Amino acid sequence: MPRHTKRMPLRRTAIACAALVGILMFASMLWGAGSLTVLQSLQALLGRGSEEAIFIVHELRGPRTVLAVLVGLALGASGTIMQSATRNPLAEPGLLGVSAGASFAVVLAIYFGADSVGLHFSIAILGSLAGCFLVLMTTQLRGAGADPVRLVLAGAAFSSILIAVTTLILLHDQRTADEIRFWVIGALGGRPTSNLVWAAPGILGGLVLVAITTPALAALSLGEKVALGLGHRPAFTRLLAMTGVAILVGTATAAAGPIAFAGLIVPYFARRLVGPDVRRALPIAMVLGPSVVLLSDILSRLAVRPYELPIGVVTACIGAPVLIAVVRSHRLPRL
Amino acid sequence: MNRRRIRHSRAIQPQALQHPIMALHAEIQAHRGARRSFTCALAGLAIAVTSWFNPVSAQERRLDTAFGPVAVKTAERVVTLDEGALDTALAVGMKPVGSVAVRGGKDLPTYLQDAGKGVKIVGTTREPNLEAILAQRPDVILASPGLEKRVYDILSKIAPTVVPSVATTAPWQDRNALYVAALGKEAEYQKRVEEVEARIEALRARAQAGQTFTIVRWMPQGPMAMSSQLMAGRILTALGLQSTDIAAELGDRPHSDILSLENLGKVDADWLLIATLNEQGQATLDAARKQPAFTRLKAAQSDHAVTVDGQVWSSATGVLAANRVVDDIERLILK
Amino acid sequence: MNSTSMKSSIRGPRGFWLLGGGNISILVNQRGVWAGTFLLCLLVLTALWSLTAGTPALTLAETIGALIGAGEGFNVFMIQELRLPRIVAGILSGAALGVGGCLLQTLARNRLATPGIIGIDDGATAFAVASIVAIPTSLAPPMLALIGAATAAALAFGLGGGGSRGYRFIVVGIAIGALFGALTNFMLARTDIDSANLAYPWTVGSLNARSASTVALLAGCVAICLPIAKILGRDLQLLRFSDAVAVGLGTRVKRTRLAILIVTVCLTAFAVAVAGPVGLVSLAAPEIARHLTGHRGVPVINSAWAGAWIMTAADWVGRTVFAPVEIPVGVITAVIGGPYLLWILLREPRRTA
Repeated sequence: MPRHTKRMPLRRTAIACAALVGILMFASMLWGAGSLTVLQSLQALLGRGSEEAIFIVHELRGPRTVLAVLVGLALGASGTIMQSATRNPLAEPGLLGVSAGASFAVVLAIYFGADSVGLHFSIAILGSLAGCFLVLMTTQLRGAGADPVRLVLAGAAFSSILIAVTTLILLHDQRTADEIRFWVIGALGGRPTSNLVWAAPGILGGLVLVAITTPALAALSLGEKVALGLGHRPAFTRLLAMTGVAILVGTATAAAGPIAFAGLIVPYFARRLVGPDVRRALPIAMVLGPSVVLLSDILSRLAVRPYELPIGVVTACIGAPVLIAVVRSHRLPRL
Repeated sequence: MNRRRIRHSRAIQPQALQHPIMALHAEIQAHRGARRSFTCALAGLAIAVTSWFNPVSAQERRLDTAFGPVAVKTAERVVTLDEGALDTALAVGMKPVGSVAVRGGKDLPTYLQDAGKGVKIVGTTREPNLEAILAQRPDVILASPGLEKRVYDILSKIAPTVVPSVATTAPWQDRNALYVAALGKEAEYQKRVEEVEARIEALRARAQAGQTFTIVRWMPQGPMAMSSQLMAGRILTALGLQSTDIAAELGDRPHSDILSLENLGKVDADWLLIATLNEQGQATLDAARKQPAFTRLKAAQSDHAVTVDGQVWSSATGVLAANRVVDDIERLILK
Repeated sequence: MNSTSMKSSIRGPRGFWLLGGGNISILVNQRGVWAGTFLLCLLVLTALWSLTAGTPALTLAETIGALIGAGEGFNVFMIQELRLPRIVAGILSGAALGVGGCLLQTLARNRLATPGIIGIDDGATAFAVASIVAIPTSLAPPMLALIGAATAAALAFGLGGGGSRGYRFIVVGIAIGALFGALTNFMLARTDIDSANLAYPWTVGSLNARSASTVALLAGCVAICLPIAKILGRDLQLLRFSDAVAVGLGTRVKRTRLAILIVTVCLTAFAVAVAGPVGLVSLAAPEIARHLTGHRGVPVINSAWAGAWIMTAADWVGRTVFAPVEIPVGVITAVIGGPYLLWILLREPRRTA
């Protein structure tokens, strides 16, 4: 093990990160774009206070906080697994064709008459899953599933096809273009609570799938031949891991729109804290992800009161400088 | 040269013949022959005298556009690259030979389709098809404010191009003034504007002065308030209704950012007009009603939340569109 | 006399021609030359075909006549002022993107690497869109696109350790690109639909009504950078191996890397300032060139021809398929290029380059 990589003990780190999530969840309930003071929000949280305050804290901020945690969980986990499975620290879950698939499905729906307000959750998730599975299938065609670089390349090519067809549709239909430019920047607010009900099983299922493949992925990081020698099946493991990633990211994108960057930077932090072993990085990423998303959400509410910034912008604005700082100051943690 | 000019002027401006010297001159022109040289001299004298009295030739208009002064000689074959220009041209009775497909893949806006039958499509607002424009052999091209210089350079090689420099929130009557000047139809335009203003005056009695209104685009994450300086807002203000603060204080911006759901009180008013781009806005209204934040609005509870055609209400600026807005107001508000 | 006898007795290795005399001799890859000629002919044919096509389609005779100024005034105007500048812009930007892609892919030893991922495309788009919808400036959008591309590249360079730490540089580039992309989306969401429409060509890449002065600048840049790239191509061949091997064979790795990066950024920045962020040309053109040339060497010039051909063909398709509604060239390259790229990827045996 390289000497310069400081690894922190897993349990303590996990507890610290979980505490951070707790604090941020609490903050998310107390602060918002409205004109409630912190004291009023606190009272409303406890069930006292004006009717409007109770409505805001319980019906608006509450579901939003829960959604942020779920989405953060999904993005953090999927990013870590994706980067581990493709052996490429540049891999982002969006590369699998998920965001492109979701956008494509939403654009199709709006084109055929739906409205972005009434869009059903299932449309976006079908799109993202379909996109990802198509990518995976094309790579399976020639046994290319064995080569992670080609998987990412295939994902990139497929995404660009979908984006191109989406652009074609937007060219034809002004109305769709006008509606989609707001969906594409992502938002956590205003999502119906039914989204939470739909999203939770999806995310849990994806997490289970991903957790199953983690030991095999850890073996894979020793090299394909070693993994084979230890009795694992690399191609199958990768396929399973990618499916899990697809489900996770598809659900997150369907629930909150495309949130850029979270899936890219959370694994970096996780690996920085506890080392490159995916069995250690995954739990930390699962706890760090919600922190990142919650922090971005709180900032998006406070930055331009009484309006709100789209969360995709905030994650990019926070994530990019942080990523650059991480990359500059230390040796990149290797996979 | 003088002879040609006089013949030209006779074709375009018959009232020039009222001038005694010009009338005499035309008679002399009718008899050719040995008198030609004498006619030339007389023509030169006549022209000199005429231009002394009319410094600018009556058929050539010099306009102050965003890219400097432009001289428009005739306006028989007009190509419009802007919805306001199309509306204005149709309103003053000059059907363009070509127009871009505005807000729709291949067609004119719905409210102009009847008046605009037979107008050839020459591309879209995003990508005007230069060859199709050239094929129409236009005399003048009416383009949007904000046109890029590089497109302007090429267009002005085809025909004199008129690009106004107005803000989006300028009064709607003035926004199309430059187009009207290019077409030379100031009188007709003034008549149409006065017709609309007369309608508004007549309806003022039926409106309950002092009622507040907000025009919004409803997004799931929150509403966007459209500026009250846009055409629809100004018409409502002229009827005696009052805009809410959030819409009135937008300055130059055409619409606000997405307002947080916690601050919906800011758009709440006696009348909430939801601009949708859907054919039937009912779907948007139904979806919005499912959001608990919406049902708490005063306007929603008193059934004063109505949907209006977004095409016409949020971005149109022409006289025909103004008539539509007044129709809608009559139907929805002044029952 | 010595040189002539030497020349006649020394022939190039199999598959190569030996050119030159005296103290200079050059080895020329035969297959590369055939591939280059083929691509060039294809390009000329496509360009001519594209010149004849359009809303009033002309015959070949009329087109050539109009090119030299003979024929109806209407046709001459249309060919010389409308179609020819567009085709020239397409050829130049396609060539620049192709060469940029080839250089960067070889440098990064990664077929995924395109100049776009280090944020140049996103920076150019963000600045151009800002000038149209947000900040009124006296500079035209193409100039701002150039400044945006340069800014993004400078940020990636500066923050990423100057390109000597190659991997870090790409990561920083991705971060910068994502930042600019988010800003662009944000600006487009804030503005009214008319301004958003006007900014649209800059978000997808289009060859419609390009600014002549920027095209002239691009022509100058290509004229300078293409020979430089060709010369650098020789060192690039060695850089395909690991750094240690390249140094052992006499390459000055750091200097070469920096020079290649600068050339790539210049070419891409000017190409994006002309055509906007056209995707996939810099990814697919080197693949096509490599496919035709064989995997020996770095096909710099052939990438240029391939890239120019892709742009011209895509522009032709975009203009004619749904006339009179034009489809921007960026959309077409993605729709055509994507499946083609997938096909190439899946047919070849696994490579480590």
